[in-house]
Amino acid sequence: MTDQITTDPTKPSERMRAGSMTLSLGPWIVAAVLLAVLPFIFTNNSSITIMNQMWITVIFALAYNMLLGQGGMLSFGHAVYAGVGGFACMHIMNASDFFAALPLPVLPVFGGLFGMGLAMIVGSFSTRSAGTVFAMISLGVGELIAACSVIIVAFFGGEEGVSGDRTYARPFFGTEFLQQIEVYYLISAWVLIAAALMYLWSRTPVGRMANAVRDNPERAEFLGYSARWVRFYSFVASGFFAGIAGGLFAINYEILTEENLNTTSSGVILLVTFLGGVGFFFGPIIGAIAFTLLQTVLSLQTELWAFYAGTLFVATVMFFPGGLAGLMMMHVPVFKLGKARLLILPYLKTLLPALIGILGLSALVEMVFHVRHAAYGDDEMTLFWTTFNSHDILPWVVALGVTAIALGITRANAPALRDAWNEANTAGGSA
Amino acid sequence: MSTPALELSGLKKSFGKAEIIRGIDLSIGKSERHAVIGPNGAGKSTLFNLITARFQPTAGTVKLHGEDLIGLEPYQINRKGLSRSFQITNIFPKMTVFENVRCALLWSQGYKYSFWNLVNRSRDLTEGAEAILEQINLTERRNLPAGTLSYAEQRALEIGITIAGGADVIMLDEPTAGMSHSETDYITDLIMKVTEGKTLIMVEHDMGVVFGLADRISVLVYGEIIATGKPEEVRGDPKVQEAYLGAALEAEH
Repeated sequence: MTDQITTDPTKPSERMRAGSMTLSLGPWIVAAVLLAVLPFIFTNNSSITIMNQMWITVIFALAYNMLLGQGGMLSFGHAVYAGVGGFACMHIMNASDFFAALPLPVLPVFGGLFGMGLAMIVGSFSTRSAGTVFAMISLGVGELIAACSVIIVAFFGGEEGVSGDRTYARPFFGTEFLQQIEVYYLISAWVLIAAALMYLWSRTPVGRMANAVRDNPERAEFLGYSARWVRFYSFVASGFFAGIAGGLFAINYEILTEENLNTTSSGVILLVTFLGGVGFFFGPIIGAIAFTLLQTVLSLQTELWAFYAGTLFVATVMFFPGGLAGLMMMHVPVFKLGKARLLILPYLKTLLPALIGILGLSALVEMVFHVRHAAYGDDEMTLFWTTFNSHDILPWVVALGVTAIALGITRANAPALRDAWNEANTAGGSA
Repeated sequence: MSTPALELSGLKKSFGKAEIIRGIDLSIGKSERHAVIGPNGAGKSTLFNLITARFQPTAGTVKLHGEDLIGLEPYQINRKGLSRSFQITNIFPKMTVFENVRCALLWSQGYKYSFWNLVNRSRDLTEGAEAILEQINLTERRNLPAGTLSYAEQRALEIGITIAGGADVIMLDEPTAGMSHSETDYITDLIMKVTEGKTLIMVEHDMGVVFGLADRISVLVYGEIIATGKPEEVRGDPKVQEAYLGAALEAEH
C-alpha cells in the first residue's frame, strides 16, 4: 500500500486522462468483434446454444451486480424480475395480432418494462434498508412469487409453464429467427447494448451515489442524498435489465416455467456473480462465462458437476472474495511494476502440482461415486481416458498416491510463491 | 437584527430515564465561529446529533435561518445548507479521494438522482473537486483509496467533504481529536481557511484550537450550557473554571 501508482495531477494531459480513461471504447469494440466472430469459430449448434445461454446469463448477472456489487444489496430472489419479464414476453408472443406487428428484437424491452414495474412495487418497501432486512424481504417476495406460479395459472401457466413461437413476430429486415444463429445475433446485440447501458449507469450521479450508499449510507445522507431513494433507483434499474434477460430467455427457449422464478435460479445468479467478482464491472461477465461452461461442458463429463461448482463457490468465498475478476486485477500492480516475469516460474511450480492434486481429488470423488452408485456388477469406469476396475485396489493406490504427492509438492512450493509475490509487488530494485 | 444562522430553544433529549440534554437555548449568528466545549460525557456529540437529525429530540426546536428542522431527515437538512463532520472519521473508504469529494458535490451542483448525466463528462464537477482537493492539500493523494490515507489526511478529507457542498453552516465534531501537535496546527489552519465567511460550530477538546479559532464559546456541562461568551469572558467565568476549565487548563500545562 505504500507505493503510489498515480497519474500526476499537475500535468493537465494526465489529469484529463485520469478522468476520462474509464470511458474508453477499446474493450467494447473487442467485445463486439468477439461476439460477431465466435459463431465462425464454434460453428456447431450446441456451441451456439451454449453461447446464447451464456450471454443471457451475462446480462442477468450484470443486472444482479448493480445491486450486490454496486449497491451493496444482497438479493435472494432476483430471479423473479427476470422471470416475470420473461413470462410477460411469452404472453406478448401469444397475443398474435400485437406480436405480428412487433419486430422480435424489440420484445426484450417489454420484458424489461415488466421487470422494472415489479421492481418498483417491491422496491418501494424493500429498499428502506440494506443488509439483513433487504435480504429477507427479497427472499420472502421471491418465494411468494414463485409460489404464485401454481396459483395464478393464467399468467404463469401452472406446472407446464407458458410456451410460444417467436417466429410469428413481424419479420425484422426479412429475418424470421427460425435458426439458432439468428437468435444468437439478436442476443449478442442485446448483450452489448445492455452491458454498455449498465456500465454507463455506473458512471452517472445516481450510479456513483449507489457506491457511496453501499460504503457509508450515513455519510451519503449528510451529503444530501436519501440512501433509500438511491437504493430504490438501483433496484428499479436492476429489475429492468433482469427483465431484459428474461425476455431474451423467452425468445431463446420459447418456454418459461416455475423454474425461472424459484430460489434455485436466484441462488445460481448470486453464485455466478460472486464467482466472477462483485468488485469490478466485468466480474459478472467472467462469472457468467465460467459458470455456463461448468454447467454445460462439465455436466457432459460428470454427473457431479454441481458438486464441483459448489466447491468452487465455497473456495471463492473463502480464499478469493474478489472472485475471478479480483484474482485477475490483483496482478495489475505487478504488471505496472514490470515484474510479472518473476511470477512465472513460481506459479508453474505451485499451480501445476495443485492442478494435478485437484484432478486427483476429483478422481477419488468420482471413484467413490462409481463404487457407491453404479449398477451392481458394473465395475468398469473410465476416467481421464483410462478404463479400469473401480473395485480393484491398484487404481485407488495410484489416485491416492498422485493426489498426495501433488498436494505435497504444492505445499512445499507455496512459500516460494508467496515470497515471489511479495517481491513482485515491491517497487524498486531487487529489494 | 437578522435571523441567526442556527437557533436552539428548549432542546432536550432523554435516553430512557437518563436526561442527556437538559434544555439548551443557544443562538449562533451568521459568519460566527462558535465552539462548544465541556468535559467528557457532557452531551456535546449528542447535541450535534440532535441538530443534524441523527437523533430526534425529546423536546424543543432547532431552527436554521429561521426554518424549523425538527422532523426532517438528515438529507433534507443537508439540502437546506447545514453540513457536518463526525467524531469518528466518516468517509467512503473504498472510493478514491477524488471521488469522495466529487460525491459531496453532486447534490449541490444539481445532479440529484439523474441517470442521464455522466459524472466524468462534467467539467464543473471535476474542477470543483480539484479545487476542494487543492484547498485541503490532498491533490497528490487524488487517486488513492481514501481508506489508505493517514489519520490526519482522512480528517482533512472529511472536512473537505463537509464543506464541498457549499453549505453555509458547517458543524465539525472534534476535528483534531487524536492528532499530534503539528497535525493539529495543520487542521486548525485548514479550518480557518475553509470556513471563511461561513458559520462554524465545532466541538473541540483542544483548548489551543478553541481559543485560536472561536469568536464565541459555549460551555456544556451535564446537558446544560453554563456559560456563553467571548473566549476571554468564558475563561474568566468562575463557574466555568470550577466546572471544567481549571482542570483542563492545568492538564494543558
